Amino acid sequence: MFNSSQSNQTSQFKPVMQSPLHPFGLAAKQEKVNGTKGVWANEVPLLGYISLRGNVQNAAFINAVNSALGISLPTQPCSMLDSSFGSILWLSTDEWLLICPREQRATLQKLLETALQGIHSQVFDNSGGFTSVILQGKNASDVLHHCTVYDLSALQAGKVVGTTFGKVSLFLQQDKNGYRLVFRRSFADYIWRYLERSALPYGFGIAQLNDER
Amino acid sequence: MFVIRCPHCCEVREEEEFSYSGEAFVARPSAPEIESDENWGDYLFMKRNVKGWHWEMWGHSSGCRKFFVVKRNTANHSIGGAWSLTEARKEYDAEEANA
Repeated sequence: MFNSSQSNQTSQFKPVMQSPLHPFGLAAKQEKVNGTKGVWANEVPLLGYISLRGNVQNAAFINAVNSALGISLPTQPCSMLDSSFGSILWLSTDEWLLICPREQRATLQKLLETALQGIHSQVFDNSGGFTSVILQGKNASDVLHHCTVYDLSALQAGKVVGTTFGKVSLFLQQDKNGYRLVFRRSFADYIWRYLERSALPYGFGIAQLNDER
Repeated sequence: MFVIRCPHCCEVREEEEFSYSGEAFVARPSAPEIESDENWGDYLFMKRNVKGWHWEMWGHSSGCRKFFVVKRNTANHSIGGAWSLTEARKEYDAEEANA
């Protein structure tokens, strides 16, 4: 049944990179943050996410990571660090998440893999698995109170907490403009709709991204 | 609702973030393939079911995703403490030795 022209067509595989929230068309709806809405949110799409695992008791592991990245790996529970390449989040006693611009992820992964050769550890690119949303505005914390059980008064800059959001879980951090939500791509639709719904009483706007990472 | 201190996150969090994982320190038979059905059944299903202080495992499923041990009073729901598995083992063994 197949002739040569048909099989040529099917062999042309052209993958398209889309953020998990692309059906909402956020890029077209974004506007400069102003006083008309209580809550402003947007997705920071298509970042690089690198998972790093290793034993915190192993000095060789810590030294290798620190010298490769030029940082001091956050080993305090629920702490995070901003650095030249992006940020590094403590997720668990033996797990960290590096968030960087997407084009840097291969370099960063290579850097870590080279430094950690022969050391019991794991570095892997999880960029397809996560996305981030920023949440700003005067009612941002009111909206989060509707969504999570975490005591937001205990959250401050430099801290990242894994907690619940409706029925799912995510990592929550506070930055200078508001909050940042890091979660699995498969939760994106649920979380975005939950945010929209929770923000109804306050007014919900799509914030313009200012080179946010 | 409980508020439980996760020994790995070092923070007190709501029960909703955690998942219950049953009684702690139930010894698994070392050679399951030669264990009698009765002993294997006991291991799987026969729990202490105490009224009073109970050692149980919880997982911080929405947070650090680690398991740890909570000592909880099943009669009045008060929580006596939460430890990592290694630290709790020492407390548990000391308590068993005194009992």
